Amino acid sequence: MKKKQIYLFIISIWLSTNMLVSQTELNSSDSLVKKDKLLTINKLRLGIDLFKPIKSSSEGDNLNYEFIGDLQVTENLYLAGEYGLIDRRIEDENINFNSSGRFLRIGFNYNMFKNWVGMDNSIYLGLRYATSDFSNKIIDYTVRNQDSYFSNLVDSEYQTIEYSDLSGNWIEIVAGLKVETFNNVYLGLSLRLNKLLSHSKPDNFDTLFIPGFNKVTDDNTFGSGFNYTLTYSIPLRKKK
Amino acid sequence: MIRGHHFLLISLFIISCEKDDICIEGSENTNRITIGFLDNETKNPTGITLINVKSIESDSIIHEEFSGGSIKLPLKVNSNKTQFLFNNKETLDTLTIYHQSIHQYLNRSCGYISNFLINNQTEIIKSTGWIREITVEKDSIFNEEKTNIFIHY
Repeated sequence: MKKKQIYLFIISIWLSTNMLVSQTELNSSDSLVKKDKLLTINKLRLGIDLFKPIKSSSEGDNLNYEFIGDLQVTENLYLAGEYGLIDRRIEDENINFNSSGRFLRIGFNYNMFKNWVGMDNSIYLGLRYATSDFSNKIIDYTVRNQDSYFSNLVDSEYQTIEYSDLSGNWIEIVAGLKVETFNNVYLGLSLRLNKLLSHSKPDNFDTLFIPGFNKVTDDNTFGSGFNYTLTYSIPLRKKK
Repeated sequence: MIRGHHFLLISLFIISCEKDDICIEGSENTNRITIGFLDNETKNPTGITLINVKSIESDSIIHEEFSGGSIKLPLKVNSNKTQFLFNNKETLDTLTIYHQSIHQYLNRSCGYISNFLINNQTEIIKSTGWIREITVEKDSIFNEEKTNIFIHY
């Protein structure tokens, strides 16, 4: 089911990319000549991830929010960041546990889309450095046992295992687009590829999920994620 | 202009290649307790024939018509006490084993296994049927190579 969502997402982003790109190609001849300025701090955009709360209610998360923001620093370069809170029950193969924590991603986006006059859409590539701190609480697990005469399920009646002060950090490559749908209101899609740099290793357990990074696999330090965002642009300068 | 969808296609490729974790056959596993049988007079290993062995709380039988010098039985991973009923010629003796269940994390795909420490301080309860005495030979269960408990009869 997850794969299907990812495919749909990729198809939708691809189609819209193609549409925007063909627009650009048509109008590249009459693009504007802009004044060269070192810094063009025109707008600060703040928003939220639309999909996270919906996804979290369908998956039974206790908490899943992501706030996003970017600040234009030159014509096409934006400082960008995301901050999120997650409290999720994860049903893994053998172990059900709760992961609760927060994450922060900081980096930049580079816009590659040439707009028409008056338009403010973007197709961008970006980089992030991200860090998360979180805690895990094991809810229950099934002990691997050659013999199944007795129940091998271990829950909190037998013992409670909690780990706090866990952390992880990673880098991300982001590709996405933002479309101004109303005045100063943008809808965005982005896909991110993550490469885990390091994470803490709790005693007699492992880091299986990092808020903001997602699932950590045994022998692969890559991950992925996506965002559907709604942002509002706070104009820092009046439009001419 | 750089085409965003090249990047996306590569991403798609990487996502589709994510491996499923499978616990490899032959990975470490939870071991059973090994119980040997000794003749109470000669203290020599002596084979026994039992009608059956079962847990005290359950009707289902672990071993039907057991015959041999030692038997391997599972311990409860979520309790510190496991009780068995040994049926020898319709005489039922209860063996109560007090133990620690120490869970050891292997990896995501295999999860946890359990090792055991038999609690030596606690006397192993026995009925006064056919079992005469119980001795703990090896109190730790990290493999199934050694006999952990001897039943003298």
